[in-house]
Amino acid sequence: MENNNILIYTELTDEYGIKDVSLQLISKAFELKQKLNNSKIIACILGPDIDYSLIIRKLEELPVDDVIIASSSELSEYNYCYHPEVFTGIVKKYEPSIVLIGATVQGKEIASYCASKLETGLTADCTGLNITNEGCLLSTRPTFGGQLTADILCKTRPQMATVQENIFKIVPQPKHNVNIIYENIQTCCIENRLKKIFSEVKTSSSVDVTKADIIVAGGLGACKDNGFELIKKLAQKLNAAVAGSREAFEKGYITKSQQIGQTGKTVSPKIYIAIGISGANQHLTAIKNSGKIIAINKDVNAPIFEHSDIAIKGDLFEILPELINKIGN
Amino acid sequence: MKIAVFIKQVPDTNDVKWTENNNIDRARMDSIINPVDKQAVEAALELKDNIGAYVCVISMGPDKAKSILKESIAMGCDDAVLLCSPKFAGSDTCATSRVLASFIKQKFSDVDLILFGQSAIDGETSQTGPSTAARLNLPCLSHVNKIESSNENTLKICTETEDTKCVYNAALPFVLCINNYIKPPRIPKINGYIKAHNYEIKSFNHTDLNLTDTQIGVKGSPTWVSKVFKIKEGRNGRIFEQSETEMFLEYVINTIEETVKINGK
Repeated sequence: MENNNILIYTELTDEYGIKDVSLQLISKAFELKQKLNNSKIIACILGPDIDYSLIIRKLEELPVDDVIIASSSELSEYNYCYHPEVFTGIVKKYEPSIVLIGATVQGKEIASYCASKLETGLTADCTGLNITNEGCLLSTRPTFGGQLTADILCKTRPQMATVQENIFKIVPQPKHNVNIIYENIQTCCIENRLKKIFSEVKTSSSVDVTKADIIVAGGLGACKDNGFELIKKLAQKLNAAVAGSREAFEKGYITKSQQIGQTGKTVSPKIYIAIGISGANQHLTAIKNSGKIIAINKDVNAPIFEHSDIAIKGDLFEILPELINKIGN
Repeated sequence: MKIAVFIKQVPDTNDVKWTENNNIDRARMDSIINPVDKQAVEAALELKDNIGAYVCVISMGPDKAKSILKESIAMGCDDAVLLCSPKFAGSDTCATSRVLASFIKQKFSDVDLILFGQSAIDGETSQTGPSTAARLNLPCLSHVNKIESSNENTLKICTETEDTKCVYNAALPFVLCINNYIKPPRIPKINGYIKAHNYEIKSFNHTDLNLTDTQIGVKGSPTWVSKVFKIKEGRNGRIFEQSETEMFLEYVINTIEETVKINGK
């Protein structure tokens, strides 16, 4: 009988922990599994030859049935010439029905490679996953620059999807035993012609937007004159994190780590203040779990208004200085 | 060095036009070269300037996409190819990468370097580059922001993601996905436009690339869109006019104070 297994690429951090996005996907997979017959959750790890007992202990507290570990010196550091091929080999061998991968830099490469080699469908940057009555994976993602949302189905198996961090929540389970399988898959497709000669982890000085209680975010409407100066001033007074839309990132007003949206961060602060952000779908999806959403926008047709708790149709360059002043008192 | 640059025509989503009913007004929106693809063209032209290279720009799309190919010729590309067939319509990443890879295999097999933009602003999937590389069994690097030549067969590639900067020595051939390229795309000069005006774009359809109906378009795409909708889960909060700024500010400050109180600050 055909299985309905869900395989999750379980990505390791630099310190050999498990990335949050992978833990979140495992938790989501458990929800999907309830709607499927004959379904197991398989966590697949690629990494160096190390002791995996701590990682396994962590997975015992999540709804994982099987853990597949492929370890070798080649896999100690991510490389397009090795990891995607090994992962594809595992997917080919275990024939899961669904493959879920975190939409990280390596996750996207691995997913693309695997889908191409297996001639199967891949839906990227999903914001929702569900199971249809027929037992198929229904992937939801923003489309058309985030202005619309699409439900996407896949005709082939496995059905593959990538998901950004913080779309789903980690739900721990009572501790249980997991079945461990060690795999040894040789690579041969791509000759490694990439030699890393330098690498540096960037230190970020800005407040982590995913952990902030209050976020002040600017969009295209704030990308002129002293728009972002005002935003920074407001954020400073509120002890808030500064963030922005994709347009603000593209125009250089914020860094990538401050970008909110489908291809940036998904956030859930207590208060989200959207300044000059029209509210493209991909942005709305990334802020929908916020406590209160406050919006300032000049465009009376901006979708952000429907998605705000408090909003004003007005000029941010007039309203923000007043707000900053008032908070001072 | 022979370079292929894949570019895509996209609607300018930075300048979305809305109808009165809050729908996208596609007719009033411009079509542009996907911004990071234009950076990829610049990266190729910079290599051409520095060490000499033949640069061919390729786009899969409707006849209308010729305008972005002409623009690339005006910027300084040597050749431009349109992969165009009504049967390509509706291709997802799987089918698209199949078309692009078969172009390389059949028409440009001596290519040394293949460039993509990291992602398209209309789809944002970041899959096409790595997917095509997989079909060609070529190494691939993402988030490339700088390319330097070391010697004839090796390039020094700098990548930068949100949290890491890396430098690679990479031996040709391979695939690169360009993102936040350090140099802004050049603006074509007058003689570039003249060259582009007189240039005849080469065009290949599915039969030229030996692709069958089941490999391309809707039939060749494993994924399909079952439904498209606008999210309607609005909060429908209180909306003020600019004349009510005073009241708006009061509401905002109350909300902030409540939150701060909860946090015990």
